[in-house]
Amino acid sequence: MDDEQIKKSAEFLIANLAGKEVPGRVKFNVRYKTLVDFAKIYGITDSKYVGSEEEGIIACHAFANNFTIKALYKLLLGIKLVQNGEERPFVTNPGKLLHMGQKYNWDGCVELKQGDKLNITAKWGKVWLIEKNMMLLAEVHVEVKNQDGEMVVRPVVTAGVRPGGY
Amino acid sequence: MVKISDIKVGDVIKNEFDGITRELLRAYAKASGDTNPIHTNDEIAIRAGLKGIIAHGLFSFGFITKLFEDFLEHGKHGKLIETDVEMRGMVRCGDLLVTEAEVTKVEGKRVYLDITQTTFTNIDIKDKNGNIMKQFEAGERGYISDKDREQGLVKTKEISEGVLSYRERVATPGSAIIELYE
Repeated sequence: MDDEQIKKSAEFLIANLAGKEVPGRVKFNVRYKTLVDFAKIYGITDSKYVGSEEEGIIACHAFANNFTIKALYKLLLGIKLVQNGEERPFVTNPGKLLHMGQKYNWDGCVELKQGDKLNITAKWGKVWLIEKNMMLLAEVHVEVKNQDGEMVVRPVVTAGVRPGGY
Repeated sequence: MVKISDIKVGDVIKNEFDGITRELLRAYAKASGDTNPIHTNDEIAIRAGLKGIIAHGLFSFGFITKLFEDFLEHGKHGKLIETDVEMRGMVRCGDLLVTEAEVTKVEGKRVYLDITQTTFTNIDIKDKNGNIMKQFEAGERGYISDKDREQGLVKTKEISEGVLSYRERVATPGSAIIELYE
């Protein structure tokens, strides 16, 4: 693919993704053992995060990484677009996909507890091209709600795709 | 007890972690579900041009949220409202990971902070004649690039065994907001 084709592909994605809903949703069950294993990685010993299953625990903040990334892989890699009459994915070579930035907002959110059943949806934010290195950047705004429809966290992921990957 | 009246611009909170090992990254891969072998298998990482395994992009992020969880005593004094980070540099086994947050603004009960997560990567220890006495993984595998040297990221310091060469690099810059209860 030459520079002109890469640029056209970037322009197509910018026009067709920015501000649009990402189709689909991901369900995620929060298990006690997963929460404990994750907290232990960071040496967290507070019983709030690693206490007994009977008393109940909540997720440490870092646990948001666990379901956010899994959900995004499912949502983004499943996207099908039509460019010049041909179906294409968002990323044509996942090896060119880079994780550039991560934002989490917990303002007004409820705690994430063992047993929660999460419902994860996403929307494209800004999508833009850095012409210097032809890196395509895209923000994805995610909403994570529990089984009662309460917001658990609002992640924003910035993905980068190197030329040849989009 | 952490109170808003005790916090002022310029205050710094900090943690350090020097236990990044292959075993820990395997445990993180299992716990996070991110099983990309470039984080757990040296041969595959080398084939991908990485010279050795690298930590997961969000592995080190957990030490940022832990910094605030510890500071707020797990919700006793306040809560974490937001973190926003940029993944800039690779983190590897043997790195010392230093996470610092500096207060930039206090507004009402909210505290705004700049985050800097820095890796200190040991390269080798030389004697006074410049002979290598000990080489660390970064030296053996060639993790340090010419660009690191050009940018002045490679430094030396005298230690009891000789002169230690190491790289000091910002891996994850960012910002955070916390809210205190009192």
